[in-house]
Amino acid sequence: MIEFARSSIGKKVLVALAGLFLCLFLVTHLAGNLFLLVGENAFNHYAEALEKNPLLIVAEFGLAALFLIHILVSLQVKYEDRRARPIGYLQQKSKGGSSWGSRTMIFSGLLLLVFLVVHIKTFKFGDAGEGLFRLVVTAFQNKFYVAFYVLAMSALGLHLSHGFQSAFQTLGVEHPGYTPWIKKAGCFFSALIAGGFALLPLWAYFNLGGH
Amino acid sequence: MSATIHLTLKVWRQKNASSEGRWVLYEAKNISTDMSFLEMLDAVNERLVLKGEDPIAFDHDCREGICGMCSLVINGQAHGPQKAATTCQIYMRDFKDGATVTVEPFRARAFPVLKDLVVDRSAFDRVMAAGGYISVNTGSAVEANTILIPKDKAEAAMDAAACIGCGACVAACPNASAMLFVSAKISHFALLPQGLPERERRVLAMRKAMDAEGFGNCSNEAECEAVCPKEIKLNHIARLNREFLRASILKK
Repeated sequence: MIEFARSSIGKKVLVALAGLFLCLFLVTHLAGNLFLLVGENAFNHYAEALEKNPLLIVAEFGLAALFLIHILVSLQVKYEDRRARPIGYLQQKSKGGSSWGSRTMIFSGLLLLVFLVVHIKTFKFGDAGEGLFRLVVTAFQNKFYVAFYVLAMSALGLHLSHGFQSAFQTLGVEHPGYTPWIKKAGCFFSALIAGGFALLPLWAYFNLGGH
Repeated sequence: MSATIHLTLKVWRQKNASSEGRWVLYEAKNISTDMSFLEMLDAVNERLVLKGEDPIAFDHDCREGICGMCSLVINGQAHGPQKAATTCQIYMRDFKDGATVTVEPFRARAFPVLKDLVVDRSAFDRVMAAGGYISVNTGSAVEANTILIPKDKAEAAMDAAACIGCGACVAACPNASAMLFVSAKISHFALLPQGLPERERRVLAMRKAMDAEGFGNCSNEAECEAVCPKEIKLNHIARLNREFLRASILKK
């Protein structure tokens, strides 16, 4: 087991599995956040129900573990990759294999890490005395904050555009019949998630702020 | 009608494995566009020898795309600008008159430069020695149809066996990973009944040997597939991942 986790393929499997579970989290998180669009009461009610659930703390620790595995193992893998080519090329030109998403995984990932810290600080540990809805809407009246959110969600879309299908490849899930569909589903999923999350701050800024 | 072009070559020169390398510019004058890239280098080298200079060292052997000996990264691309071709199959008609052409060795920690453009690819041999074989008794060959193999399986295994071990996959990989090479070798045995007795042992041993050589990790970017002169596909890497997962779970 330890040998597996330390092997090149094993590490990628860990990153892929954690990544796919994080994708599931994104779906539930976005679904919950869409209560914002329903209204203040509905969203606050949803938020309170979630906080009252004793299993929330278990889920939060699980989520933190997934993030830690995904981030730390990825960074280790990246470090090893750098070491695998100590002298780089003077010129390097793609023959068409890689994509925008695949080439920028580390950058989109690091931006998302910064986002994660800011995001948790604002909404998890922010002052929700007037209800979470107020906290969210107030935070999204700052245009720089909204811009940062939209940028981070674009990075998320880019990250998922490669990550989703790449995870299946790493897990060995490959078949001439259904791999093209996994790739299509990955594009659709990344656009849906990134678009959905980016919509909320824009909606709060333009619709609720009296601009 | 063959035309003649003049090029400037920017070549990596390195005296030996322990010395520091540097970039040197060479004029390649009156190069026929019918020449192959290696013939162009031969022509440049002949002039260097006549001038009493050390010729540019590069690997080559069959010069018909099947031995896997030639390498080079030409203008940032392993095996040059064409797809499904080795450097020896690149012709000078692909280059514009007056252009500067960068010629670099394959770059990877596991492929140290020995001299100029020649790299040591024996890391691949050691990965093969770890498990890239089947164990059979010597003596007279067994009757060919003793073990039946479905045609589609035989063809898929043959596609994987087309790998010539040139190392372009490692050279083009942003992570210097050898997964495409190793996966081709794993596939070619995993698809055939003869490969099954040593199936788990093979993939575990070859993965271990691959990591020990200091290759990077696969991030599924598919640059390897794009440069492979034998068009080895990425699905072999998925099979390698699958075989490794399976063997790791079954391991006692």
